[in-house]
Amino acid sequence: MKIIRMSAQAFRSMRDNKVRSFLMMLGVIIGVATLTTIVSSVLGARSQVMSRVERFGLDQIMVMAGAGRKPGVPQPTPTTLKIEDANSILSEISNVKDVCPQINRRDIPIKYQNKNSYAILIAANTNWAEIWNTQIPNGRFFNDSEVSRLNRVAVIGQSLVNELFDGEDPVGKQIILANNPFEVIGVLEKKGASPTGLDLDSRIVVPISTGMKRVFNQDYITNIKIVVSDVNQMTDTVNDVKMLLRERHNLAPGVEDDFTIVTPTLIMALASKVSSTFNIFLILISLVSLFVGAVVIANIMFISVNERKAEIGIRRAVGATRNDILTQFLIESVTVSFLGGIIGGLSGIVTVILLSHLMKMHFGALATPLVISIACAILVGLVAGIQPARKASYTDPIEALK
Amino acid sequence: MINVQNLFKIFHKDGMDVQILNNITLDIKEGEFVSIMAPSGMGKSTLLNILGCLDKPTSGTYILDGEPVQDLDDDELSRIRNSKIGYVFQSFHLLPRMTAWENVILPLIYSDDDSDMREKANEVLQSVGLQDRVNHLPRELSGGQQQRVAIARALINNPKIIFADEPTGNLDSKSSAEVMNIFRNLHSQGRTLIVVTHDPNVGAQADRIIEMKDGQICDDRWTKLSS
Ligand SMILES: Nc1ncnc2c1ncn2[C@@H]1O[C@H](COP(=O)(O)OP(=O)(O)O)[C@@H](O)[C@H]1O
Ligand SMILES: [Mg+2]
Repeated sequence: MKIIRMSAQAFRSMRDNKVRSFLMMLGVIIGVATLTTIVSSVLGARSQVMSRVERFGLDQIMVMAGAGRKPGVPQPTPTTLKIEDANSILSEISNVKDVCPQINRRDIPIKYQNKNSYAILIAANTNWAEIWNTQIPNGRFFNDSEVSRLNRVAVIGQSLVNELFDGEDPVGKQIILANNPFEVIGVLEKKGASPTGLDLDSRIVVPISTGMKRVFNQDYITNIKIVVSDVNQMTDTVNDVKMLLRERHNLAPGVEDDFTIVTPTLIMALASKVSSTFNIFLILISLVSLFVGAVVIANIMFISVNERKAEIGIRRAVGATRNDILTQFLIESVTVSFLGGIIGGLSGIVTVILLSHLMKMHFGALATPLVISIACAILVGLVAGIQPARKASYTDPIEALK
Repeated sequence: MINVQNLFKIFHKDGMDVQILNNITLDIKEGEFVSIMAPSGMGKSTLLNILGCLDKPTSGTYILDGEPVQDLDDDELSRIRNSKIGYVFQSFHLLPRMTAWENVILPLIYSDDDSDMREKANEVLQSVGLQDRVNHLPRELSGGQQQRVAIARALINNPKIIFADEPTGNLDSKSSAEVMNIFRNLHSQGRTLIVVTHDPNVGAQADRIIEMKDGQICDDRWTKLSS
């Protein structure tokens, strides 16, 4: 086929002028390498945000005691949020499917035989594991009768298992938690670090009743996790919760909320704000270098068209149409930029892998950024090549053959 | 095969009109071997470029193998150059980085012919006696050999007409004789040949000699070879 034969001619010409071809590639290589790295890190950051939102739950709302709070940032807990608030949210707001009131407290001393550690203590309802999407690979979660009887039972995280039990099976063992004896009945699925750097595997979950009466001796709670039935009515439900709580807490109009409502949208906004300015800066750099790459390709192409006037004349004389000449030069510029894109993309991937090992940076998938970058490179070749190729196609064969 | 009526070519140079071809009327039949002779600068190349569909006349009609060339667009002219015409230049015009066979296949690149290019190149190179120079670069060949590569290139699409513009102008007498020998062979195979030259010895080898002066045909005669 003609197009294949013409492509072969274009490749031949690039092979004959390796230095020229390499110079044409250079800008594209740099641009694509940075673009690949950036897109990969942006995708990485985004998937981190998404997994954080997913962990939070797309159909969930969290009410935290206290005004203007951010998730994961510790502050002294106000005493106004009560377990009755949770019950009334569940019974009075129709779109609310489930609630889980809980108390969270850090740095709780925990002891097994002669080993000591510190835990994040969570006192919660029986639905905690389901709402926080947490499996119990060993043992079981506590049940309703244990909650109503204020039993001293606990489900503990992997880090605590490793620190205290040293290979022993923790289920059925007695531990001392804030000077209270508890029986370990299960182990929490491994979750790793939270986005704010908390070790989620150092958590220990006990029945909320036990926590309130036997450990903390308090009548207020830290937060309420709410599950809604219809995600589309999220905004209305948030509003209903707000109104209900203001009423229950006797807040006069104009007085600030004594609680904070966190939604998946808010989590997303908080998480994606980080580093987006820096990313825009880097994307700008890579676009500039792609632009420079395009200018370089266009200029070298123009020089090459001038140098190859005789060749163009010969090709025209033996029957190449203007379009054939245009196509052939475009194939050259696109192939050069495509190869530059491949080389740049692979360098970008190597950079990504190095960075993620050296700096423990989180990167996303590699295929998508590579495809995006190479597509950009091809576009650069097309845009940069079109004017020189047009010029080549309008070369007057008689003039060229003199 | 070639029918030219009232052909004019006027160049604009330094604000002045220079009339290079002045009312040329010419008829060449299929299979003729014609030489066009004139001193340098008399418009031979200009005429040949028009006949070879590389250039267009300022006015006049030109029918080539039944096609009204003056009415054709650039793409159609390219197609005619590719399929009906083989062109041989004074300075060979080979691509310097390409081997003999790669130069020879150039017209095939732009044709609709999908047959094996390498095989065809070998055939035509053999027909001009260069079967053992197939992989040589132009700079590794003598002038005569380079011109024979150019002739092979002109032949590869099996054109009806060969145009040659001073084909022996850059060659010594031995190479010139070889090239003219090839032309006579092509003629005997029935191909139409039109050779431009200012060398009387070369021109005399054609069947028909057309002489030009001041942009006009001043003599058109048949040589004794034709009888
Ligand atoms: N593009 C052009 N513009 C102006 N003058 C030209 C152009 N091409 C050729 N000429 C002039 O036309 C005359 C004939 O040129 P040419 O056909 O090459 O003659 P020949 O081949 O007989 O030596 C020359 O004087 C040349 O300078
Ligand atoms: Mg001339």
